[in-house]
Amino acid sequence: MSNTNYNLNNTAVKDTKKTSNLAALGKLVNLLPEQRGKLIWALIVILAYSILTMVGPYIVGVTINDYILNKKWSGVLANCGWLLLTYICVLVLVYLRTILMGNFGQHLLFTLRNTLFNKLQELPAAFFNQNKAGDLISRINNDTDKINQFFSQSLMQFVSSFFFIIGAGIALVAVNWKLGLVTLSPALIVWVFTKLTTPWIKRRNAANLKSVGGMSAEIQESLDNFKVIIAFNRRDYFRKRFDKANKEQYSSAVKAGIANNIFVPVYGLASSLGQLAVLTYGIYLMTEHQFTAGFFVTFFAYVSYFYDPLRQMAALWAGFQVALAAWDRIAQILNLRSDLVTTPGLSVVREEKASAPALLEFQHVSFHYPDGTEVLHNNSFRMGKGKTYALVGPTGGGKTTTASLIARLYDPTSGRILLDGEDLRSYSAAERTRKIGFILQEPFLFSGTVKDNILYGNEQYHNLSNEELAAVIEKANLKTLLSRFDAGLDTKVSSGGDGISLGQRQLIAFMRAVLRNPDLLILDEATANIDTVTEKMLEDILQRLPETTTRVIIAHRLNTIENADEIFFVNAGTITRAGSLDQAVDMLLHGKRVS
Amino acid sequence: MEKNNRPAQGPPPAKGRPKGPGLSTLLKPYRGFISLLVLLALISNAFNLWLPKIIAATIDSFTNHPEAGIRHTLVIEFLWAVIGAFLFAYLQSLVQTYTSEKVARDLRTRLSEKISRQSFEFLQQTTSSKLLTNLTADVDSIKSFVSQAIVSIASSLVVIIGASILLLSINWKLGLIVIAIIPIIGITFFVVLKKVRALFLKSREVIDTLNKVINESILGAAIIRVINSMQLEYNKFMEANKKALNIGLGILRLFASLIPVIVFASNLATLAILAMGGHYVIIGSMSLGNLVAFNNYLSMLVFPILVIGFMSNIIAQASASYIRISGVLNAPDPVETGTIKKDLEGSIAVRNVSLSYKEKNVLKDISFTVPGGSRTAIIGPTAAGKTQLLQLLTALTRPTAGAIEYDGHPIAEYEKEAFHKQIGFVFQDSIIFNMSIRENIAFNEAVTDESMQKAIATAELNDFIDTLPDKLETVVSERGTSLSGGQKQRIMLARALAIGPRVLLLDDFTARVDTSTEQKILENVRRNYPGITLLSVTQKIASIEDYQQIILLMEGEIIAAGTHSELMNTCPEYVQIYQSQRSTSHYEQHELQS
Repeated sequence: MSNTNYNLNNTAVKDTKKTSNLAALGKLVNLLPEQRGKLIWALIVILAYSILTMVGPYIVGVTINDYILNKKWSGVLANCGWLLLTYICVLVLVYLRTILMGNFGQHLLFTLRNTLFNKLQELPAAFFNQNKAGDLISRINNDTDKINQFFSQSLMQFVSSFFFIIGAGIALVAVNWKLGLVTLSPALIVWVFTKLTTPWIKRRNAANLKSVGGMSAEIQESLDNFKVIIAFNRRDYFRKRFDKANKEQYSSAVKAGIANNIFVPVYGLASSLGQLAVLTYGIYLMTEHQFTAGFFVTFFAYVSYFYDPLRQMAALWAGFQVALAAWDRIAQILNLRSDLVTTPGLSVVREEKASAPALLEFQHVSFHYPDGTEVLHNNSFRMGKGKTYALVGPTGGGKTTTASLIARLYDPTSGRILLDGEDLRSYSAAERTRKIGFILQEPFLFSGTVKDNILYGNEQYHNLSNEELAAVIEKANLKTLLSRFDAGLDTKVSSGGDGISLGQRQLIAFMRAVLRNPDLLILDEATANIDTVTEKMLEDILQRLPETTTRVIIAHRLNTIENADEIFFVNAGTITRAGSLDQAVDMLLHGKRVS
Repeated sequence: MEKNNRPAQGPPPAKGRPKGPGLSTLLKPYRGFISLLVLLALISNAFNLWLPKIIAATIDSFTNHPEAGIRHTLVIEFLWAVIGAFLFAYLQSLVQTYTSEKVARDLRTRLSEKISRQSFEFLQQTTSSKLLTNLTADVDSIKSFVSQAIVSIASSLVVIIGASILLLSINWKLGLIVIAIIPIIGITFFVVLKKVRALFLKSREVIDTLNKVINESILGAAIIRVINSMQLEYNKFMEANKKALNIGLGILRLFASLIPVIVFASNLATLAILAMGGHYVIIGSMSLGNLVAFNNYLSMLVFPILVIGFMSNIIAQASASYIRISGVLNAPDPVETGTIKKDLEGSIAVRNVSLSYKEKNVLKDISFTVPGGSRTAIIGPTAAGKTQLLQLLTALTRPTAGAIEYDGHPIAEYEKEAFHKQIGFVFQDSIIFNMSIRENIAFNEAVTDESMQKAIATAELNDFIDTLPDKLETVVSERGTSLSGGQKQRIMLARALAIGPRVLLLDDFTARVDTSTEQKILENVRRNYPGITLLSVTQKIASIEDYQQIILLMEGEIIAAGTHSELMNTCPEYVQIYQSQRSTSHYEQHELQS
């Protein structure tokens, strides 16, 4: 059974080595097949634009040769007319090029962001547990930003430059093939140079991006834990850890910078050598009468149309490489597949039992982490409708894992879980989450108000006004809980949970779950930080849930489970049924922790 | 363009309003490097400007004396200029990288040292995400300023001014016409860029929103999956993403109006050179070589005008970033006022302490005393102010009014380091560092192996550590996701005990640790750390019934204080809490005896 390794820093997941620039680009463009038409139009316009641009210098050259050198003023004026016409066409084309190409780039960016976000939503909880949150956030924010910069600022330049280079190259050879080839020869050196250095530059940029991520994660962690750092006199810890990350970042950034900056001087050199070639070889050809002076202007223009875009491409190349490195890292996420697929019609052979099917049933369920640590070992049990179950046991015994399996945050590594007699994996996510509510150990709030948070993802009450919602809350006996917030429903909360206590966060999570009316409600130490009076209130609320609601309560404190119909003792990966509270207490007291 | 000329001499003073020290202050220590950088850029561009002159001379010498062929001296001159331009450009790129990264590294170091000296209060006010931005994005934009803006602007000005002078010197009438495109392009660019900048600001905001949604979707991944609200998050994201797309297209439309103007203006200049220059060549007042030179200089002119415009963007960003950064750098250091370093006996007195946080009164006139070596419990409902009280007791924050005394001396009189060495604080939220268990527990470096072992045994961690693949050296991950809540709590307890504290503060320690382990641990503490003052915030009355003092805190006020039996007789709120736990208390009793 699947138990995928989602660790992005682990080589096992890494995409099968370096994709080529072109292939990477192709994959990117394939993100939006519907935009392909636009891209083709844009390319046609750019092609026309670069051809017409090459026509200009040719007219100038011819004019000088035929009229200026022969002192025919009228011919000069006539050709100036033609030149003006060409320039007007160029004006229109350059406008169209900008609009068409820019449109394409913006839509590509838009789709890329959507695809990435979609993927993040699709990946299972395991992915988020196996990667550092700080690293993940930095990776995604930074990398999309890099791609963003390239696509919204340099893409057009990049493509136009490419066409200019080709156009000018062809024009050079067409006007005078001997001189053309000689003029282009420095480009060959540049090409070889680029070819040789690209992998090196890519590597250095990838290393740099990685060290940026590492540094952000380091800062995030240290700042989040600042109070421990102060309380334990370890201000130096922050400095030391940061210094190390900072130094690494410095050296990787210098290395990347040197690599990125090497192109510009080299390309400048090539361009000047091209000019030198035109000058010396051109004069030589003139002595042989194979070249006329007017074309010097044409050739120098072509040299600059050829080498300037080349130089620009060199400048953009670094950005392009950075964007590709960023794309590589994002593609790594896009290539991950969720191992929690819905498999409809996983046939369940209803083995025996005339008895009513249990709401939930574990059949020989085991679970271990990708690194092999076993958490649950071959467990089978049943839970009926409308009853209250308690999971007790020492810390680290597997209670939270059991709950996570029920909520299908993970799949069992072997065995299966049945919900209403059907394999849990055959339920669609919508169905499953409608039936199963889970109040997590560490509640998370979204920035917004208390109202936004308790109605988060709640389709039923989604559109209620404050008054209507108040009525619903009253009916669900949640009103007293709401009074714990200064501004009631409109109390502002942030995702960091600043200014709001852990207990209050748990209250919000509780209300959020109860208002969804699940068939099965799991509370994972959900009241751990709530005072006992409030807790008593919560218990009353739980008691008054619809009769058919099954409750699964994970707790350390025994008073929270006294109303349980059945108690399971979870220890060392084994879930044992304890008949009574007394028996559970006995197991708790004498049971040994971890085998 | 006037505005943009300034940076050539050095970074501009922050525009407009007085904003304190500008970028120039920051860059002062690097003056040498930056001068060198500008100088290198000047030299390499001067070489480039020389090239068209040599070309013109070569062509003219050939057209005048075709029989003489190429003048070799000119070719050698050309080669020298090419090599010079290359070498200096390369040197410049090296200096540029080193300087900018050095500025960035030093700035980060200064920032981190500043932050590391700050109080917890400072961090709460500034928020860690802002500091993270200061250390990354803000430093980066200053880095771009050094690596791009300074050099580019210097080079561009050299080229624009140099080319203009050379054009005028060849033929001032034609020169003036060609130079006329500079203000045309410059002004159009300036106007459009101003509009674009407004859109850029908007797009930055939208990107921030996008990032916020992404961040929440990562941090809240579990709950999103439990609720199946992926679509909801996707819609949130989609909305922001559409906005981003529209702004991007808006920017695009502005550029689509700008670029044709630039292209057309420079094309018109080419036309003028052909017509007028042709005329001058025909009448013999200009040489063919110079006609070629005019075209060559024109092709060098356009790009630098644009570069200056783009750089003004980078300068604006860098100034804004520097203002944010200097806000942190100029924050006053907390002053060490304490001088007392003596060993604590552990008696605590809280006198008329009040605390308000963002206009909210968290604690109201609290007073109580804790005798040294005693055990005291604080119980109270959610949001009663218990955690804040503990943070005051550890000097992480300061009260708005009132005083906290240890052994009769106000907390501020203690030297901070000596004080923290004697206070063990187990935080309510699990804080586990991404390093080995050993480093997590012996977090304070003064911890000996012996005291660490004692702390581990006391926190009942030996069994657990034995099951780990690398025992004490096992590295635990950030946010401690591979550990259970109880394991994290116990590691944090061991960390607090390892420093051998005189006072132990527990914040809801029992919430995540099961009862039997908790009882064992508390018994261990009593046995292994005799004479320790224990102050425990808890919910469970049963485990604190025998404490010398129980303080009931509600809505920031002390409702009652006394022993269990006293409170049972005098305090109805306490009895109410007790009743809510009563039904199971006989089990807890049962456990205590075992």
